[in-house]
Amino acid sequence: MRWLRGWCIRFAGLFYKEHRDRELSDELGSHLQMQIEENLRAGMKPDHARREALIKLGDIEQAKEKYRDRRGIPALESLLRNSQFGLRMLRKTPGFTAVIVLTLALGTGVNTAIYTVDYATLLAPLPYPKPDRLVMVWSSLQGHRIRVSAADFIDWKRQNTVFQDLNAWSPDDFNIATQDRPEFVQGMEATPGYYGMLGNSLFLGRNFLPREGEPGREHVVILAHRLWQRLGANPKIVGQKLRINGVPHTVVGVMASGMEDRRDEELIVPLVFKPEHLSHDSRYPRYFVVVTGRLKSGVTIQQARARMEMVAAHIEKVNPQNNQGLGALVEPFKNDFFPGERQLTLWLLLGAVGLLLLIACLNVANLLLANGTTRHREVAIRNSLGAKPAAICAQFLTESLVLGILGGLTGIAAGYAMLRGLVAVMPPHALPPEADPRLNVPVLLFVLAVATLAGVLFGCVPAWYASRLDPAGVFRDGGRAGIGVARYRLRQILVIAEFALALPLLAGAGLAIHSFWNLMHVDLGVRTDHILGFYLFPLDGEATRINSLYRRILAGIEGVPGVTEACAMTYLPLEGLHWEQPFTIAGQPAYAAPSLRPVADLQSVTPGYFKTFGIQIVKGRGFTDYDNASISSRVAMVNEDFANKFLKGVDPLQERVVMQQQSPGEPGPAIEWQIIGVFHTVKSRESREDNPEIDIPFQRMGMAMPEAGIGVRTTEDPATMIKGITKAVNAVDSQAAVYMPRSMEQVHDEVLANDRFTVILFSSFATIALLLAAVGIYGVMAFGVTQRSHEIALRMALGATRNHVVALVVKEGIVLSCAGLGLGLIGAWFVGRAMQSALFGVGVFDLPDLGAVGSVLLFSALAACYIPARNATKADPMIALRCE
Amino acid sequence: MTQKTDVPQGTLALMVLKTLESMGALHGYGIARRIEQTSGDLLSVNYGTLYPALLKLEQEGCIASEWGVSDNNRKAKYYKLTRAGRKQIEKEARNWEQTTAILARFLSPDAKPL
Repeated sequence: MRWLRGWCIRFAGLFYKEHRDRELSDELGSHLQMQIEENLRAGMKPDHARREALIKLGDIEQAKEKYRDRRGIPALESLLRNSQFGLRMLRKTPGFTAVIVLTLALGTGVNTAIYTVDYATLLAPLPYPKPDRLVMVWSSLQGHRIRVSAADFIDWKRQNTVFQDLNAWSPDDFNIATQDRPEFVQGMEATPGYYGMLGNSLFLGRNFLPREGEPGREHVVILAHRLWQRLGANPKIVGQKLRINGVPHTVVGVMASGMEDRRDEELIVPLVFKPEHLSHDSRYPRYFVVVTGRLKSGVTIQQARARMEMVAAHIEKVNPQNNQGLGALVEPFKNDFFPGERQLTLWLLLGAVGLLLLIACLNVANLLLANGTTRHREVAIRNSLGAKPAAICAQFLTESLVLGILGGLTGIAAGYAMLRGLVAVMPPHALPPEADPRLNVPVLLFVLAVATLAGVLFGCVPAWYASRLDPAGVFRDGGRAGIGVARYRLRQILVIAEFALALPLLAGAGLAIHSFWNLMHVDLGVRTDHILGFYLFPLDGEATRINSLYRRILAGIEGVPGVTEACAMTYLPLEGLHWEQPFTIAGQPAYAAPSLRPVADLQSVTPGYFKTFGIQIVKGRGFTDYDNASISSRVAMVNEDFANKFLKGVDPLQERVVMQQQSPGEPGPAIEWQIIGVFHTVKSRESREDNPEIDIPFQRMGMAMPEAGIGVRTTEDPATMIKGITKAVNAVDSQAAVYMPRSMEQVHDEVLANDRFTVILFSSFATIALLLAAVGIYGVMAFGVTQRSHEIALRMALGATRNHVVALVVKEGIVLSCAGLGLGLIGAWFVGRAMQSALFGVGVFDLPDLGAVGSVLLFSALAACYIPARNATKADPMIALRCE
Repeated sequence: MTQKTDVPQGTLALMVLKTLESMGALHGYGIARRIEQTSGDLLSVNYGTLYPALLKLEQEGCIASEWGVSDNNRKAKYYKLTRAGRKQIEKEARNWEQTTAILARFLSPDAKPL
């Protein structure tokens, strides 16, 4: 403990220095006087006595120095002194300081913003109590995770030993219309324990009670904060009734605001299984759910996985017909509904900003080196006055450390602004609802550490050079030379490195742009202009009446002036909603088990669908009104992708598809559908892939599902027609909510929004990288030209033309940038490989892209070299020579 | 005239402490003189070694200082031993005895391991 006390006192010794110095002087002075008096007593003459005393006691200043070193903490003191000096130097060169701080701030700022988003999305724990205990449990089929049938879920629950709680849920749409206000919201059905299991508190009221999962008691609802506000923010809403799908439900709770408000789902009602859903027999209807669980404490995910595999194997044994090949998967509850390619994009963006920071640091190193050159005289003087190389090195390092910290702090401020901007312009659903990107301590520490480290690392080189400077050389050459070839070499290497780093970044942006271009120009299979699409949720869901209701609604819409065609369908094209339907082809060998059948998207459409959306029928015919009206007509159409995948080499029009269910959740015997036509494939999932699709007449699915998509072809801008069309719909059914009316162009835009956003981000980063690289090469060339002004003047005096001199300088720049680009190709290849799964229709090594970004870089290098080169030739050779 | 030497590394602290133990409170000059006298004028103590050593002992709490007035009316800083300092003397004295005993074995002509 004694040493600790010592250090504390030494730290205190940093303060009140003048007082302490005075005391020391007094003490030493009296010591000297006593020695003199002693000498006098020994009989020396006064001046001799004084001389002897001084000799005996040694150098007083050196003693004071030693005392001071002991009194305080010398390293800390010199750090403070150096920082003070550094700050003063930086203030004296505001332009230089500003450029460095801004460069660092730019580099750290984008890193702050992107790292915050990545941290919130990919790294931070989920905002639930004990989030590591939450798991998703899926059925697995041939290695793919699929939704769980209600029967399996009930069996899982019954045989559960590893979960503290296991709940099922399923998203659904709800009509919450009142007499005067039709409204349609997304929500979910969930078993009563679901929301409580996640563990977040409610804003008002309570969670569902277990008995509210029993038939007859399920007419209760929990609202999202957002919906509660929209309904009037009544603080006494708990206990009141809300009509949902026409049935009064009692509001029992309101969720807290925040994360839940970032979800699409705005209400939860209890999920109650119908008795017929609970059979494993696939001849009966199946109801599919998503299952989330909370592990018992002490149970690992591996144990849960092993247990669930056993349970699934047991169910398979008992129900070999229907559960063959069905396993169970237990996965951590994290970003389950956040597409993999978007997660990859987040990592790629982090990589891009990392590269950007590196380029910024190289630029700073370059500037520091250049600045070091102009300070040769100062260093030489210090050196001559006895400063040790280590002290000079420490001083330069402290200065770059100060710059690093300044840059980091500015970067955090810039990052905060960028983050705000980023979140503001981010398309909806760009991040999962759990992600809450805001600045936090780990992020701030990370960024500050990175900036400081960058400052120190890149301050090392100039510091080292400065400490090795030969003062004699500097004075001899009038402060100009002594620069050394090595230092210039180093700056050249830095420029090469900048280009080598900039190329992969630009190539990545090029790939992203190319991929986005491909996505934008993909053949959608539908027209998007002059079409309005929306969903309709009529309250009168009576199966027998629903088709005639839709007929009347469509007729009403077609009566609106400016409407040329209207149609109804289960799912609007492009959006990605789809129903996966297992099927077989009549006459082909049967599958070993029903669960092994292939699946296709099932869509039901009215006859006007193909005409409204301009979908080309490539073979056979489309549906007729007769097909749609007659229950007995069993005709279907398939898309080209279906024909290519399942009907290769046969005439599709001669084939029949066999399906057991015609609509989600509805029972039915196997029915054969005669294929009457093949239509051009319509993109339905984010425009990326083709999927096999079977279309059947609308009335077959409409019977089971009251809600449907409506497509309207208009002669005018669809946005201007929304009012008239809504009026026409409500004239037929006053409580049919028109949900999200949008032009199909808008739908297409929204589907591409995330990709567009990514491309914009990548391109901005690439642009910054390009600018930084250009500034870097400009700096080096300008410096090189100044250094060579003597040589250039000589050449010009001896008759070299301006063009010759410009060529001389530009050539060097081109060599440097080409060397960088060559090295950068390796990086570009890695970037391409990393991006591959996020790209659409672009290879890893896309030559046109590389060529384009390579020439952009080269061109900017040319421009950056040309300016100093031209300036060099402008100087009068005689003046340049006389300066020497 | 005999060659005066500087104080060997690491021994000054103990000398200062022992001096203060036997003489009571003393100023810097007094300590220096006393050490020189005790060494039979073989050692020479200058500022550069004495004052940093005093400072170190004070920082570690072995001695305490106070301004006072010397015999011939001169302002001087007086150092005195603290309780921690007394303990430190025992400890360091033991260390030195051990060290010198070990060295003595090496230096004696018929050195044998124990």
